Amino acid sequence: MIAETPAPASTFRRRRPRFGDAGLRVLAGVAAIGSLLLVALLTYKVVDEAWPSIAQFGLSFLWSEDWNAVTGEFGARDLIWGTAFSSLVAVAIAAPVAIAIGLFLSELAPRRLRAPVGALVELLAAIPSVVLGLWGIIVLGPFLQQHIEPRLGDWLGFIPLFSGSPSNVGLLPAAIVLTIMIIPIVASISRELFLSVPGDLKQGSLALGSTRWEMVRNVAIPQVSAGLVAAVILGLARALGEAIAVSQVIGGGLNFSASVFQPADTLAGRIASQYQGSTSNLQTASLAYLAVILLAMSLIANITAQLIVRRIRQRMGGAH
Amino acid sequence: MHNRANGETSMEKTGMKMKKLTAPLVAVVVLALAAGCGGSGSSENNGGGGGNQGDGGGSKVLIGAGSTLVYPLLSQWEPDYADKDGITITYGAIGSGGGIEAITGRTVDFGASDAPLSSDQAAACNGCLQMPWALGATVVSYNVKGVDDHLKLTGQVVADMYTGKITSWNDPAIASLNPGVNLPDTKVTPVYRSDGSGDSYVFTSYLSSVSSDWKSQVGASTQPAFPTGTGAEKNSGVAAAIQSTDGAIGYVAISYIDADSLNAALLQNQAGNYPVPGLDTISAAAAAATEVQADGSIPLVNPPASAADAYPMSTYTYAIVPQKSDKASELKDFLTYAITDGQAFGKDLGFPEMPSSVIEHDKTEIAKIS
Repeated sequence: MIAETPAPASTFRRRRPRFGDAGLRVLAGVAAIGSLLLVALLTYKVVDEAWPSIAQFGLSFLWSEDWNAVTGEFGARDLIWGTAFSSLVAVAIAAPVAIAIGLFLSELAPRRLRAPVGALVELLAAIPSVVLGLWGIIVLGPFLQQHIEPRLGDWLGFIPLFSGSPSNVGLLPAAIVLTIMIIPIVASISRELFLSVPGDLKQGSLALGSTRWEMVRNVAIPQVSAGLVAAVILGLARALGEAIAVSQVIGGGLNFSASVFQPADTLAGRIASQYQGSTSNLQTASLAYLAVILLAMSLIANITAQLIVRRIRQRMGGAH
Repeated sequence: MHNRANGETSMEKTGMKMKKLTAPLVAVVVLALAAGCGGSGSSENNGGGGGNQGDGGGSKVLIGAGSTLVYPLLSQWEPDYADKDGITITYGAIGSGGGIEAITGRTVDFGASDAPLSSDQAAACNGCLQMPWALGATVVSYNVKGVDDHLKLTGQVVADMYTGKITSWNDPAIASLNPGVNLPDTKVTPVYRSDGSGDSYVFTSYLSSVSSDWKSQVGASTQPAFPTGTGAEKNSGVAAAIQSTDGAIGYVAISYIDADSLNAALLQNQAGNYPVPGLDTISAAAAAATEVQADGSIPLVNPPASAADAYPMSTYTYAIVPQKSDKASELKDFLTYAITDGQAFGKDLGFPEMPSSVIEHDKTEIAKIS
């Protein structure tokens, strides 16, 4: 508590910071509670919208392949596959590339190159997804169809994933567009993480005779591994929810195909393309059900990330 | 916090790292939520965008939204009608589905849709009238290297291509309809609309009426479950997919045929003829089918054989208006203009004038608005 003082000038001087403190606390508190409330209300609303479909199809919605507005049969299996496959492939390609970019920009690149290349990578993150999708339609799709997919088919055609005739839309271009989309996100976070590794640790490691690679492998990466996991999960969440660019190149396929050359669809893509023209209440509810699944997938990705981060933290705590 | 024993500093350090991490993780949740629900949120906003602007004081404004097919016609009506009656029309061509949603939420004064309301949609719209206000057509298009415009096709052949029974362009079923045309063995790639579409409705209605297989396996809908093929969004997406794919077959609104110089297939009508889609053949279909259904729609697809020149995938596009409206008098006035004076603008844009019986029907519907 602040003692009262008779002098008005000093009261004034003391009260002002107190208002500031209270103001900051209220502002920050309202913002924090507001965001929690927003998430809660949003989840409630989506589940509420989805309820007729949840009541009708139950959990079998998850593994039913039908999506038929005429007969009123809806299921999410193919869409879950499309979402999971395109996002996971994107993350599998993007994570090593992006971490390598982060390392290059923080440790390996000549100092003069770091700022311009870093800015370019961040510029890549600023490209609107619809533009990336357009590039996917005009350049990437035809290129894959004419040059990459025929070869993949020749070499690996015995695997169902690479069977069937090449096409300019499908899972493969979708996964590649997503890869390009998440590389800059993961790369710029990785760079910040590597820059946060204390210089004395790096210097110490080098002084003890480590090569640069040994320093990176034994000192820099373990120091920030928890952060890298979080960065990759951030990229995964971005890929899971991307609707526009994916629906531009994935081909809006209504039927399941094991081949990555064939048209498919994702949860986010189906919601974006069909919600407006929904012909029945059940279809609207089923589209909301897809949103519930997407929410759940993001939640699972988050919890997994939390668990990995915790485990890494425990391991590091134990090592000391 | 900072005066802990030295032994704990490593834990403290990692603890701090945890805290640093929570920020990105919260961001992950928020981001995923935002992305996951983008579809549903934005659609509601689309209709709401201009909704409240019309309520201002004395200036007379009518706001509409929906069909992109009818938009060229409305863009001619807007300035002409403003000159004549001093009422400003603001129309957002956001697609038939969006138009239905907007008028259901009453965020606009009128909606426009190429497909009649489904029963669920009609119930949700709560006392909406739908009336035909322009004539149009959906056209089957294709891109096969070496094959010229106006290939002849029957509904059954098109249905077989879309169910995967006919997989190559030199199939005997296509060849026998087109003697003298040199057909390559290019693979057939069916293209369909992945979003809800009046064109899908007309197309699948036609296929359902000529092919019993199609009727039982797929049916007629604005969002049918096509058994095979590639989806594309909007007419422009389908047109682009046709142009970029050798062997593609697809369907678009008639205005896209000329605009994008696409090939138009000639579809067989009930009389066994192959009329070229255009003003006269659409008018012929409209003249042959004038019976109004209980829901206010007038199906034109595949009219009887007596209409020898009728194009079989003709369609009405509909205005959807609430029976009770604050702007009843303006709405009545505008709709009356649309079905009378407004029809004259259609000829140059590919919309034939509606038959007089339909105009009379519309007038009795307009009188119900209050």
